[in-house]
Amino acid sequence: MSPELEVELKRSAPAPGAMAIPSLSRRGWNAALEIALYCFITMLVAIVEFYAGGFPGPSNWLIGLVIYALWSLNAFRRSTTPSAAFVQLAVVDESNVAASFGRMVLRTVARGTVLYALPILVFANNQIVWIAMFAAAAASVAFMERGRAPWDLIAGTTMVESYGSEATESTGPLRLSDLRVDGLRQRQNQRAARMLQFAGWGAIIVSLLIVWVVASEAFTFITDDDFSWSLLNVEGDRRGWFPRRNFYDIPTLLVGTLWVTGIAMVIAGPVGLGAAIYLSEYAKPKVRRIVKPVIETLASVPSVVIGMFAIFFISPSVLTLFFDDIGSFSVLAAGIGVGILTIPLVASISEDALRAVPMELRQAAYGLGSRKITVALRVVFPAALSGISAAFIVGISRAIGETMVVAIAAGGSGGTLFELNPTEDGQTITAAMASLGAGTDQVAGSGIAFQSLYFLGAMLFLITLILNVFSDAIVRRFREAY
Amino acid sequence: MVAITTELRDQLRLRRSADTSGQIFRGLLMLALLVAFASLLAMILTALTRSWPILSDRPLDFLFSNTSQNPDEAGVFQGIKGSVMLAAISSLVAFPVGIGGAIYLEEYAGDSRFSRLVQVLVRNLAGVPSIVYGLLGLAIFVQNLGGITGGRSVISGGLTLACLVLPVVIITTQEAIRAVPSELRQAGYGIGATQWEVIRSVVLPSAAPGILTGTVLSVARAVGEAAPILVVGAVSGFFQTGTLSFLEQTQSFFTALPMQIFAFTKQPAQTWGAHAAGASVAILLVVVALNSVAIWMRARLDQKLRK
Amino acid sequence: MSSIDAGASVRPEARNPVPDTPAVDNASSDDPSSKDSASAANPGAAGATGSSVFEVSDVSVYYSDFRAVTNVDLTINDNEITAFIGPSGCGKSTMLRTFNRMNDLIEGARMTGTLEYHGVDLYHEDVDPVAVRRRIGMVFQKPNPFPKSIYDNIAFGPRIAGTNENMDDIVERSLRGAGLWEEVKDRLKTSALGLSGGQQQRLCIARATAVNPDVLLMDEPCSALDPIATGRIEELMLEMKQDYTIVIVTHNMQQAARVSDRTAFFTAELDPNTDQRTGLLVEYDQTTTIFSQPADERTENYITGRFG
Ligand SMILES: Nc1ncnc2c1ncn2[C@@H]1O[C@H](COP(=O)(O)OP(=O)(O)OP(=O)(O)O)[C@@H](O)[C@H]1O
Ligand SMILES: [Mg+2]
Repeated sequence: MSPELEVELKRSAPAPGAMAIPSLSRRGWNAALEIALYCFITMLVAIVEFYAGGFPGPSNWLIGLVIYALWSLNAFRRSTTPSAAFVQLAVVDESNVAASFGRMVLRTVARGTVLYALPILVFANNQIVWIAMFAAAAASVAFMERGRAPWDLIAGTTMVESYGSEATESTGPLRLSDLRVDGLRQRQNQRAARMLQFAGWGAIIVSLLIVWVVASEAFTFITDDDFSWSLLNVEGDRRGWFPRRNFYDIPTLLVGTLWVTGIAMVIAGPVGLGAAIYLSEYAKPKVRRIVKPVIETLASVPSVVIGMFAIFFISPSVLTLFFDDIGSFSVLAAGIGVGILTIPLVASISEDALRAVPMELRQAAYGLGSRKITVALRVVFPAALSGISAAFIVGISRAIGETMVVAIAAGGSGGTLFELNPTEDGQTITAAMASLGAGTDQVAGSGIAFQSLYFLGAMLFLITLILNVFSDAIVRRFREAY
Repeated sequence: MVAITTELRDQLRLRRSADTSGQIFRGLLMLALLVAFASLLAMILTALTRSWPILSDRPLDFLFSNTSQNPDEAGVFQGIKGSVMLAAISSLVAFPVGIGGAIYLEEYAGDSRFSRLVQVLVRNLAGVPSIVYGLLGLAIFVQNLGGITGGRSVISGGLTLACLVLPVVIITTQEAIRAVPSELRQAGYGIGATQWEVIRSVVLPSAAPGILTGTVLSVARAVGEAAPILVVGAVSGFFQTGTLSFLEQTQSFFTALPMQIFAFTKQPAQTWGAHAAGASVAILLVVVALNSVAIWMRARLDQKLRK
Repeated sequence: MSSIDAGASVRPEARNPVPDTPAVDNASSDDPSSKDSASAANPGAAGATGSSVFEVSDVSVYYSDFRAVTNVDLTINDNEITAFIGPSGCGKSTMLRTFNRMNDLIEGARMTGTLEYHGVDLYHEDVDPVAVRRRIGMVFQKPNPFPKSIYDNIAFGPRIAGTNENMDDIVERSLRGAGLWEEVKDRLKTSALGLSGGQQQRLCIARATAVNPDVLLMDEPCSALDPIATGRIEELMLEMKQDYTIVIVTHNMQQAARVSDRTAFFTAELDPNTDQRTGLLVEYDQTTTIFSQPADERTENYITGRFG
């Protein structure tokens, strides 16, 4: 035996279980994370059981349980549990040493009793009790010293952030095997990568599905036997959008959409841009700190609330001052509502663009003796122009896509006649879709009305897509400029 | 000499009056802000005054009553319950997938042509009108998967909203991850951390403020949306919940707060206007609260990281 | 036993903060003239006595198609400070990053040649870069503490790598080793971002040493610091030399002269074949030799400031 090999053999790995785990990070977060994990697992099991109509046969339960037990026993040797290991948690005992195998078993039994056995056996599997048990466990963590869960008190353990494994300090000659990371950490790394990849693909699939579903149904509409392009353009006094009577006059909806979008931008453009210039060029930091959240709040107002505002205030209290014969529902009121909705969007994107203009440019202009208005209008505004135009395009795209304000405030549910006057009832593409979709069952029954929904959707999708791509391109160009 | 000095002094004197155009411009900008503020204020006042009959008479009864044909008994409890369930389901699906997907796209996918395509797709989907997501939900969750979801049910609505907020979650998470300085990553790798350890212990904690803000905002968005669930088939009229278990309820009829507001506005305003306004007050409270939480959280966590 | 498994012995003291017996080469390294300098004229083979940590032979590093450094041969000795100097863009950082495989993180980066660490081929397919970086720590140009507490910064490495020691002890030992303990012992739980630049950099050094590495790579560790903080780090390096092998990249010639035992001078030259500027090792020798009587004219031009 070579001397080298002898050194090799003497190298001792610390016995598992004797490893000291440091005292830091004994936080309630770890215990809370564990509870959240088990809550999630329980929910998952319940959902699978419910939607799959129960686990077929008790044997499948048993197989699952045995697999989980074996898995757990393996994890116990490393003082952790399968799910805790996944988020890199481990368990220590009172003396801050990795919990022994027996203690792990005790802890798991205690946890199983509190979270599962009690609710099932004693309280007859009542959902409220399940929820209460998890909530109580989570709450107790907050009050327990060192952030421990009830089962930790029973087993005398604490959950801490864990290590990959014990260190492998070698004293002999360096060997290739010393330059390998231990299997556990590697497995964790690979498992995380797989899970994340899974999520990534989920996101990608959803994205592709939307495009595919909308496109394929729209295609069905166009290729349907009942469909002819002339249907889309019924001439004469019956011109209008009445899908339930098979009148599909697209221009009717386009006129409505154009009015609403136009009115909205007449309001949101100047107001949004003005607010943005004020915020970026004039407002003191203190004012900004107050005004910004207010604008963000306006941005978060749900559109149904704005629709309510339009029929309860804009129409009766504002528009009647200017138009004698305006009804309670009108395209004009809807357009103003959509405009209010679009203000914060235009304001925030424009402000970003204005603030992206380098300070030096402003200083250079001030250095030449310019006034604030000159700097704002002649220096900053032109420099931010592309960003501001992107803001307007995004605003337009948002206004075109807005549904509920129009569905509430513009009237015309069920259908609408071709109408150029914005003080009358009307419909936009989106509002027409909403009224079509609201009674889906009937729609599905009557000819190609259902597909017309998808045709409109595809149209909307295309319009907004083009606008977004366009604004994206502009933004990218203006990013390159600085 | 003296003449020059006085002339100079004269020139340097601050003359507010001379800058009239500047003053007017400033006034116009303030006016723009005022319009924004005034409309928010008017909206809140409208909601409060219009709902006063209900707010003063039976505020709790309104919140905790079911739908009814009788305006004196009708309430929004089913809508609140539906909105909570929709928010819960959509968060449960959209957060893991969205945050995980964003991490994957940022940290693993590299800069291939395919990942750039996905980027463009996700960014554009965030701008797609919400009602189009309703079509997606109608075709997939209601019709194709109707056997599992129960058709026009909460679960269909929740999954639809999950699709709706997914791009938002992905984009905000990506931005938050991108803002983590690469030096921190290098530091992590330099000590001998695996990629997952770097992500878990370095990247995610640093990106947490941005991610949390994005997720809370997306919940607020899901709560306020009516168009997609309208298409998916939220009930706009009167319905009875009956005695169903929690999971059975996920497969049954549902409504939501914004949906109920829409339904109330379709009724005669004299009798039902107060209901629409009252429900608006309720939803405003929820959404503004969520929003404030997001703003507060961002400020606080930012501060904590800077300290 | 396969050839890659055989190798020079890693002395246990190399990882021990307070060695029982001072290393043998250390005693003589204060007096470089006593060292063997027979091969001084031969770059890369400068006095490879004692035990070597790295054996670099014929290493070239590429970023995609661009060859950043070419055909480097050099030996880095145990418990010495080796300085890499040279004009900007000559591939010092690139070369440094090959030692702990940080280049693996850069898309398109690859290398040819062999790089042995204690006789083990670092780029063998069975070698995990993560394990390599645990043993070969790195300190970066800009101090980059994690936005966590001082304690958590130090504890990060031991936590992920695993340890048998008490974490409080590790933290104290590492901070003492970086000369930072007295300054921060009362605020271990406060954010590391509240420290000054120099303190942050020493924290980064402490963080790197907390996992008991064998080698410390430092890429211009003082370039973001003021002269006083720089002085403290230089003192620190001289102290740490007993326990670690240090490789430092610096633009500060005086610094190289003050702290290093050996100096490698790199430069970039236009490759007539590819029309690209490629880095190469010009000269590698005892620091005193490099700075007093360099063998190569290019080295002399550079250190006397006559370089382009
Ligand atoms: N990630 C990278 N991708 C592509 N090329 C790179 C990369 N990093 C460095 N290079 C190129 O490799 C060459 C060497 O760079 P390196 O950073 O190693 O030089 P350096 O000597 O450290 O310079 P400095 O003194 O400025 O730090 C340079 O031409 C540089 O442009
Ligand atoms: Mg460099």
